[in-house]
Amino acid sequence: MTSLDTRVVVVGGGVTGVAVLRDLALRGVDAVLVERSDLGTGTSGRWHGLLHSGGRYAVRDEESARECIEENMVLRRIAPHTIEDLGGLFVLLPSDDPAYAERFVSGCAAAGIPVEELTPAAARRREPLLTDGIEAAYAVPDGGIDSWSLIRSMVADAEAHGARVLPRHPVVGFERDGDRLAAVRVRDQAGGEERLIGCEWVVNAAGAWAGQVGALAGVPIEMIPGKGVMVVMASRYVRGVVNACRKPADGDIVVPQHEVAILGTTSVQVEDPDDVSVDPAEVDRMIDMCAQMVPSLSGGRALRAFAGSRPLYKPPQQADQATAGDTRAVSRTFTVLDHAERDGLANLFSIVGGKLTTCRQMAEKLVDQLGERMGVSVPCRTAEEVLPGADHGSHRLAGPLAAVEQEKEYGTLLCECELVTTERVRETVAGGLVELEDLRRRLRLGFGPCQAAFCAWRAAAVVCEQGGGGDRDLLAGLARFLQERWRGQHATVWGDQARQALLNHAIYRGIFDLEADHQDEASAWASGGLDWSQAVAPRSTREE
Amino acid sequence: MRADVVVVGAGPAGLAAAVRLAEGGRKVRLIARGNGFTHWGAGAVDVLGRIGGQRVERPLDDLAGLAADHPYRVVGAEALRDGLDWFLGFAAAAGLEHQGDPARNRGQVTALGTLRPTCLLPTPAAAELRGRVAVVGLAGFRDFSAALCARGLERSGHAVTTATVELPPWSHRRYFSGVELARAFDDQSFRERLAPGLAAAASGADVAVVPAVVGLAHGHEPWADLQRRVGVPLVEAAVAPPCVPGLRLFAAWRRRLDELGVSWQFGFPATGVERAGDRVMAVRCEGAARPVEIRCDEVVLATGGVAGHGIEANRDGSLTEVVAGLPVAGFPDRTGFVSGRFLAAHPMGAAGVRVDAELRPVGDDGAPLLANLRCAGGLLAGHDATVEGSREGVALATAARLVATTRAAGKTDQAVKRG
Repeated sequence: MTSLDTRVVVVGGGVTGVAVLRDLALRGVDAVLVERSDLGTGTSGRWHGLLHSGGRYAVRDEESARECIEENMVLRRIAPHTIEDLGGLFVLLPSDDPAYAERFVSGCAAAGIPVEELTPAAARRREPLLTDGIEAAYAVPDGGIDSWSLIRSMVADAEAHGARVLPRHPVVGFERDGDRLAAVRVRDQAGGEERLIGCEWVVNAAGAWAGQVGALAGVPIEMIPGKGVMVVMASRYVRGVVNACRKPADGDIVVPQHEVAILGTTSVQVEDPDDVSVDPAEVDRMIDMCAQMVPSLSGGRALRAFAGSRPLYKPPQQADQATAGDTRAVSRTFTVLDHAERDGLANLFSIVGGKLTTCRQMAEKLVDQLGERMGVSVPCRTAEEVLPGADHGSHRLAGPLAAVEQEKEYGTLLCECELVTTERVRETVAGGLVELEDLRRRLRLGFGPCQAAFCAWRAAAVVCEQGGGGDRDLLAGLARFLQERWRGQHATVWGDQARQALLNHAIYRGIFDLEADHQDEASAWASGGLDWSQAVAPRSTREE
Repeated sequence: MRADVVVVGAGPAGLAAAVRLAEGGRKVRLIARGNGFTHWGAGAVDVLGRIGGQRVERPLDDLAGLAADHPYRVVGAEALRDGLDWFLGFAAAAGLEHQGDPARNRGQVTALGTLRPTCLLPTPAAAELRGRVAVVGLAGFRDFSAALCARGLERSGHAVTTATVELPPWSHRRYFSGVELARAFDDQSFRERLAPGLAAAASGADVAVVPAVVGLAHGHEPWADLQRRVGVPLVEAAVAPPCVPGLRLFAAWRRRLDELGVSWQFGFPATGVERAGDRVMAVRCEGAARPVEIRCDEVVLATGGVAGHGIEANRDGSLTEVVAGLPVAGFPDRTGFVSGRFLAAHPMGAAGVRVDAELRPVGDDGAPLLANLRCAGGLLAGHDATVEGSREGVALATAARLVATTRAAGKTDQAVKRG
């Protein structure tokens, strides 16, 4: 067993954990982050990409709304390259309660969210595909944010300040010494061996999985995984974010993101945060509801659907509060748990709740408390220090195309949908790549309308040419990549997307003759704990 | 507008049906939404590659093991043999000789280095891989990687070397597709300039594998010429669509349709039929500027399954045959369309129209619904052409059967007229 030592081990490689790592690093505290899979594969990679203005919480959750607008402004300053400045509208339909709109406007004012009322005509000039029946519209500073880009930038900053990151190192236990955790025991997925990380402090930033990490440390943390289903449409439809101006419900938001639009979202309490199954009825409901605002969605092409688990926390005193299965009633603010006072475990902190928009602030609050206990008095700098990459300015949809054209790289375009060049794939592979699937989060490879029909095996070829992939591994890795793309699709296969699915099948199974045994290897890999792709199965699965 | 027979669909089934019916003296109109599986396939004639995931060695011997509603069981082995024999003659006459024995399957090398089971192969893809195999990529052509193909071939036990040769200067240097590259190969001077590099890359090898892009407009001549210059047997490996060997074949189909005086239109999706009792009187389609109605004695639907646009998969799990509204068995909800595993069989891939022995669509009671409409190819129920590797075989077998049934129907019509 190998071992290493650090002052703080951060458990969880989502935005929260990474933000904590960066905050610690900027305060000069040596820290190591461990993540069970690749970075950003949990809730941080399974959401709609909305940089909240806070408007969605303005009526019911002022604290969350205030956090959102504060952090919205901070992120625009420190991470503009991860943000598309979309703007957002809240639209009031004839079936909605006008009184809600009044509460919305006053709630925004109370939380400090700039809001501007638009006439229906002005709203439709701004969003031509809006239904012509709206009563009113309110503009707020919503945006789009690319969480993987944000994670990469925060990691780069943290590493530049001495922090270390160990992806694919799930925590398997803690070494306890009296009332302290003396070390974190992790398993290196690549080599299979266990490693012991000696530390003074542990931060549990595992989000929806915080309860599971807490259990390994012997402390009870009751999480309420709130599953949210989202539907990916094959084009953007809207220029900015479109929200329904009503009490949050299924299918009340459309977020344009890169080449697609994401419809959100349900909110259902589930037992297991790894339950990311999607019911086709939820997809239908989401499309039908969002089509009330943007009618052309109803005849549109849905590419896939996916679900994420909100990291909602149930404080002990709220244990009896009835949520009736709908987790929207649970506050979206965050909570820092100091397990010394709570559970008698002297050196463990957990951070639960919250949302991507507020990840930096969550980290700041946690590290402030932790620093006080550690005797570190360096103030937080994460709101002032801009992230690496920020000099590129804010993300624009046409940016990648301009880059491809200016750099005259079009000749080596590998993924046409997402404008990924062969050179970028080569660089990424050379920089260390465990799985073909990692290219998806690094480069957005395979996200577009063809869902990897033409890029997945080209990427496999690059890996092969650079000497990667074991003898049989390569085709199995390709099968895993395709399976990951596929598992979100079963609920959206109809119409054009049915043809696309069968074309992709005709390419990989028909022309390339990828066989079931490649897929079997993929399944064996997945059940080894690296990934939770096997958690998803369509309700009526018909195998050969 | 009038025709004896309107053939709807220009995939392998519709093209074969239109040519064969016209060869039989019928006045045929061919209309199609767009291109079919000539463009999207592997460029081979698959007959029956797998049953239950297992490779089939002798496809004609295994037909009896198929389900009763499988198109091969419906039309019979004789129609399949007839279809394949006829195709070999047609292709050879068009300068696109195919190799292989309908009774025996063989492996077709692919860009992933797999050996997909198929039956007949165009000559440029047909040489056996033996001895030392050189896999040669073409610099800048991203749809074929020598390293990736070689990795697969090594796994099947071949002794493989790899090389990538630079292309001579040509008009598309920055970005090009397989089709553009194939056009470059049509130019003799391009081949002349490429040959020395290719020969060096293949030196010492018994056979060289190259991507299937060696010429587009002149059949197999560019390949034969290049092989002569290189001095080593060249094998074209199947790459992702568009399929250049399929485009060569498609061009041959169109030439043959022109020779036979068949009027054909692409971009004319059929939208419906006009019925009188149990007969179809006309096919309606979208024309260039306005809807068009083509009156006819008979209709052949070769519009394909869900993949080919012949069947629409609906959000509620139902399936709709798009031209004549023929019954297609759907699913309780749309999760029934697919399997949880991408590479497994997907039930919607086998969805189709049930027919009688004369390929007329039938209702639940097995009785024909329409007297003068017949179905061919991927539209038929009872088979999944991708999973079992049967696409071209089913197309050619059903086209063969159509010729026989149309002959019989034609006689009946004449008898009626005489009466």
